[in-house]
Amino acid sequence: MATSEGDINERTAAAGASNTEQPNANANFECNICLDTAKDAVISFCGHLFCWPCLHKWLETRPNKSVCPVCKAGISKDKVIPLYGRGSTNQEDPREKMPPRPQGRRPEPENNGAFPGFGGFGDGFQLSFGIGAFPFAFFSTTFGGQGQTAAPAGSPQAEDEQFLSKLFLWVAFLFMFWLLIA
Amino acid sequence: MALEGQSVSRLRKDLLQLLPLLGNPESVVSAFPSGDNMLEWTGTIKGGKGTVYDGKVYKLTLEFPSTYPIKPPVVKFMTPCYHPNVDQQGNICLDILKENWSSLYDVRTILLSIQVLLGEPNNDSPLNADAAKNWNKEVYKKALEKFEKEIAK
Repeated sequence: MATSEGDINERTAAAGASNTEQPNANANFECNICLDTAKDAVISFCGHLFCWPCLHKWLETRPNKSVCPVCKAGISKDKVIPLYGRGSTNQEDPREKMPPRPQGRRPEPENNGAFPGFGGFGDGFQLSFGIGAFPFAFFSTTFGGQGQTAAPAGSPQAEDEQFLSKLFLWVAFLFMFWLLIA
Repeated sequence: MALEGQSVSRLRKDLLQLLPLLGNPESVVSAFPSGDNMLEWTGTIKGGKGTVYDGKVYKLTLEFPSTYPIKPPVVKFMTPCYHPNVDQQGNICLDILKENWSSLYDVRTILLSIQVLLGEPNNDSPLNADAAKNWNKEVYKKALEKFEKEIAK
């Protein structure tokens, strides 16, 4: 037992010594962006090694043209494989650990923004929803006010209700008018 | 801050790549941080042998963004340079400093690319139309000498 343990210690010591003698011994495991030994390492399908934080920043600045910095092959979050060394106790997918990034950004769509028309469609959809919902409110105020006279006529509550329903009617007309001229 | 630290540590590595070249008279490029700011460098390149720029030495400035190497540095000629892809302000038109930038490039490879560009201009997208017109003609050498004389005045 003692001998094998000593053997291992010797071997690790030798490995450490060779590392200090040859600084390029680890060059095979350096991130292609920061040139440090890759942390939270991922490897692209084209075989190039990166720190995930570095690659994430690279992809983030090029949402429309995601290419491998080394060979310009296609690359994306789904086209890299996380690497788990034996020493790493935490086998968490590095891609789940997002580096600090600007807030309020939409996640990248699946097709990587190759079709810019899609964004425009999204805006249009929201707008039409706004118009569609409006007549519903309009009807509910007019019919609701006449149909269910919960508060006795002449009471301050009924007056308030009528005032409000007229106000909303005018707001509705203004809004529609604005829509027509806009 | 963390981002800037990353660009500085990457630039230290770039510097380590250049250090072996500093003492070597054969080397065609060299660069060093201009002052205390690690993000501003001064570089020199020597004109390639067998080109019209043979024997000439050019000084350049390199300004690195805090996002380097994700984003490229801004490289400019400090020494006025008569070249199809260099304008009067010293701006350089080189694809790898713009749309074809890759985080794999470092200071050494940037300067080597510019050094190669001197001898092999891209005459399709000139910043100096006069130089592009004269390229590979007898008059180029004369135009180059005339340009440098005017600068010296």
